[in-house]
Amino acid sequence: MSYLESNLKTVPTGWRKIFYLNWPLVILLTAVACAGFLMLYSVAGGNIHTWAEPQMKRFALGMVAMFLVAFIPVWFWRNVSAMAYFIAFLLLVAVEFFGAIGMGAQRWLEIGPLRIQPSELMKITLVMLLAAYYDWLPVEKVSRPLWVFIPAIIILAPTFLVLAQPDLGTAVMLVMGGAFVMFAAGVSLWYFGTVLALVVALVFGVMETRGTPYQLLHDYQYKRIDTFLDPGSDPLGAGYNIMQAQIALGSGGWAGRGFMQGTQSRLNFLPEKHTDFIFTTLAEEFGFVGAFSLLMLYAGIIGFALYTAMATKDRFASLLSFGVAGTFFFFFAINMAMVMGLMPVVGVPLPLVSYGGTAMLILLAAFGLVQSAHIHRPRQR
Amino acid sequence: MRTPLRPLPRILDARAKGENPDAIERENRRLRGEATRDKSRQRAEGRLLVMSVLFLAAFLTVGLRMGSFAAARPEEPQTDASSQQIYSQRADIVDRKGRVLATNLLTHALYAQPPMMIDPTGTADKLVKIFPDLDRDRLIKDFTGARKFVWIKKRISPEQLQAVHDIGDPGLLFGPREMRLYPNGHLASHILGGARYGTEGVNSAEILGVAGIEREYDKWLRDPANGGKSLKLSLDLTVQSALEDVLSGGMKLMNAKGATAVLMKARTGEIVAMASLPDFDPNDRPAPLLKGDPSDSPLFNRAVQGVYELGSTFKIFAVSQAMQMGLVTPETMIDTKGPLRWGKFRIHDFHDYGKQLSVTDVIVHSSNIGTARIVQKIGPEKQREFLGKLGLLEPAPVELIEAPTGRPILPQNWSELSAMTIGYGHGLSDSPLQLAAAYATIANDGKRVLPTLIAKGGPREPVKQEFGAAEGAQVVSPEVAHKALAMMRAVVTRGTASYGDVPGYQVAGKTGTADKPDPQGGYYNDKVISTFAGVFPVTDPQYVLVLTLDEPTDTSGNEPRRTAGWTAVPVAAETIRRVAPLLGLRPEPTTPDTLDGIRLVKKD
Repeated sequence: MSYLESNLKTVPTGWRKIFYLNWPLVILLTAVACAGFLMLYSVAGGNIHTWAEPQMKRFALGMVAMFLVAFIPVWFWRNVSAMAYFIAFLLLVAVEFFGAIGMGAQRWLEIGPLRIQPSELMKITLVMLLAAYYDWLPVEKVSRPLWVFIPAIIILAPTFLVLAQPDLGTAVMLVMGGAFVMFAAGVSLWYFGTVLALVVALVFGVMETRGTPYQLLHDYQYKRIDTFLDPGSDPLGAGYNIMQAQIALGSGGWAGRGFMQGTQSRLNFLPEKHTDFIFTTLAEEFGFVGAFSLLMLYAGIIGFALYTAMATKDRFASLLSFGVAGTFFFFFAINMAMVMGLMPVVGVPLPLVSYGGTAMLILLAAFGLVQSAHIHRPRQR
Repeated sequence: MRTPLRPLPRILDARAKGENPDAIERENRRLRGEATRDKSRQRAEGRLLVMSVLFLAAFLTVGLRMGSFAAARPEEPQTDASSQQIYSQRADIVDRKGRVLATNLLTHALYAQPPMMIDPTGTADKLVKIFPDLDRDRLIKDFTGARKFVWIKKRISPEQLQAVHDIGDPGLLFGPREMRLYPNGHLASHILGGARYGTEGVNSAEILGVAGIEREYDKWLRDPANGGKSLKLSLDLTVQSALEDVLSGGMKLMNAKGATAVLMKARTGEIVAMASLPDFDPNDRPAPLLKGDPSDSPLFNRAVQGVYELGSTFKIFAVSQAMQMGLVTPETMIDTKGPLRWGKFRIHDFHDYGKQLSVTDVIVHSSNIGTARIVQKIGPEKQREFLGKLGLLEPAPVELIEAPTGRPILPQNWSELSAMTIGYGHGLSDSPLQLAAAYATIANDGKRVLPTLIAKGGPREPVKQEFGAAEGAQVVSPEVAHKALAMMRAVVTRGTASYGDVPGYQVAGKTGTADKPDPQGGYYNDKVISTFAGVFPVTDPQYVLVLTLDEPTDTSGNEPRRTAGWTAVPVAAETIRRVAPLLGLRPEPTTPDTLDGIRLVKKD
């Protein structure tokens, strides 16, 4: 019997759970999604049917999913976390063989009318499994090599599958999210230091082997690194994305050009304007004020998720909330950094704003887990 | 240090008291559990802090980057050189009546930014079609190489601009800039000189003078303090045009290889027209000659840079000086029996003029022997001093960058023999402009005249001269000057320049025919510099005209004639005939019987 279960009586039950939701989080998530609808409406040139409407439907579906997940006690999720992880893993393997190919990568799995991206599902089940693992593992064993090795395998196995698709962005997110949970669980800093050193060495190795028959990355990935280091080197080719994005950001200025007035996205200068690069449209039309407001909304979401993580005394619930908050953070931080030229372009969408079904659904479900942790935390009677 | 869960003393003690010893173990277990939890909580809180700091740092970075983008000002592509402000304004140059001689015109430069180019090869092909002088291979090399900026054309016309625009390649860009335009083409080309681009930017380009007045007044023309005021020259565009017209016709007629003329206001030294042929178009300056004689280049200004032995035109200086010194009067008879021997040299006359000639007739018939005899009376030092005062020993102080290069060639040793030859214009080389200024001094009642190209009230430069008399200084007395003018009038009416008479304008003047020196040594027999230096109207001298033909030959007679009377004089007369009405001179009705009785006093 865990600490939580022994105090079951103090956990809200039935429809009363709705009063114990983390409501600020719900409001913030809705606000961000609404900003997304506006932008999708704008980039479609004032057409609601192109992207905004499907996105709204998905958001509604995602909210339902979030509430469903939230109402189910968090210990249920702990108990199914291992299974969920394996299902996601199997789907990832299935993508390797039956996946649909899009944008030069094998990412989708088509089951009937559904198109799902198992890599998105993996992001969250990975966090769940790691949280459950550290909940189960006695605290004093956390930093022992064997018990560090196991979560490392849990993280790296799906990461390699995702890299093989190839989807560098998601792979990076998986590693960062997993490492984040391990860090929160209290794994010795030495491991992180070592891994960081290894990554630096790997980056060096990657750049050194370039051009040789056994180079580690695809040519387009090398090109993206080049482009990141100097976007002006190839303004019409690989650097086009970043140059145009930065022109859009700059053209917005402080107050922006006004809703539906962005020229960069309107005149089709921008690539992926409704997905990965939607932030540039926002920055162009609403300027620094708009972009910074969105950043603040994201910060609020992270803040309330962290509050949930700290308020609960249950280790699984706490680590899960941390993990979701971390994954979400990496999501938008990587996207914004990439759009602003602070990072190479790795293809990470802007969470809740970019057009895309699976990511939206999975993210809202993940916040359902956070809500579940919030509701089912023991309370004073 | 770990506390044992069942410390023996306490267990024994508890047993002795009959208490449950397990309670002690439970209590200790609870304490230990709490200690572990506290420790992990502490660690968790530390980690949380680290994470918060990382999140905050990430937010700050993204926020700051957003701010820097928002604050960014749009930047246009620029060349490296354009970091400093280019001041491209340049004042117009106008003639004495305000007609434009040089102005600026807005045009465009064509440049490329190869990284922005979509189809470098196709673009190069199309460019070569528009500009046949471009090298296709070179363009392709530039467009496909590592260069990020390539100038293609410094100046293009509106039609070319449209054609290039129609190529439609985003890598081809236009930079607005001004160009220097000389709307009159060849007219006054040597005076204006020309311009080129200095510092070039994408949005403007500096225009610098390369020669002539453009170079001399470069600073003034570009000085923003002038507030766009034009530089007003003493030139008269109409007169300049007429002068060049007649001069080029005369040059062809006389089969000369070059010609030059200076028309100067006798009283002020203002140059009304000055030409040198062959000339060029300052809009498209030819490249300077890299080998050979630079004076063969059309860029060479014969009037200012060219120094020639100007022959008998110098005789009037010897006679004027002798009259000024009181050695002779116009009626004094001079021994002209030839040849005049001096050591192993002999001085000849063109014709034998008999035993004696009056001083007037020495001038009228241009007797070398007579002049030499007069110079013998003056002496070399005095002669040298006098010619120096007339400005014949140093470059003419005119406002052209080339002026200092028109340095007179003086004899190495100003001996008595040199003095005698210089007396009739051999052994001392001067520019036609210097000669004009010296004649103007005589015409101006003997008061020194300095040549200038800048209209009255314009930004004249202070004159520096070593030997020359100051402006307005009396070099010869007015009486002597008038007597000299009377002699020159006689030259036209009954002497060597009889073709120079223009009815109504009372031309006075002196011819000069000098054998050209052979660079191998000695003089050519068949190459001369033929000069006419004239003053008109002689009753009230207003203008001085010096006209020089380089290697003329008049072939209209039975045998070729090269003397000035047959070559330079008719051309000069035609010039005066053309320009005098333009200058606003009223022809005086003259009757043949008054030709000899010249009125030297001003008529009122």
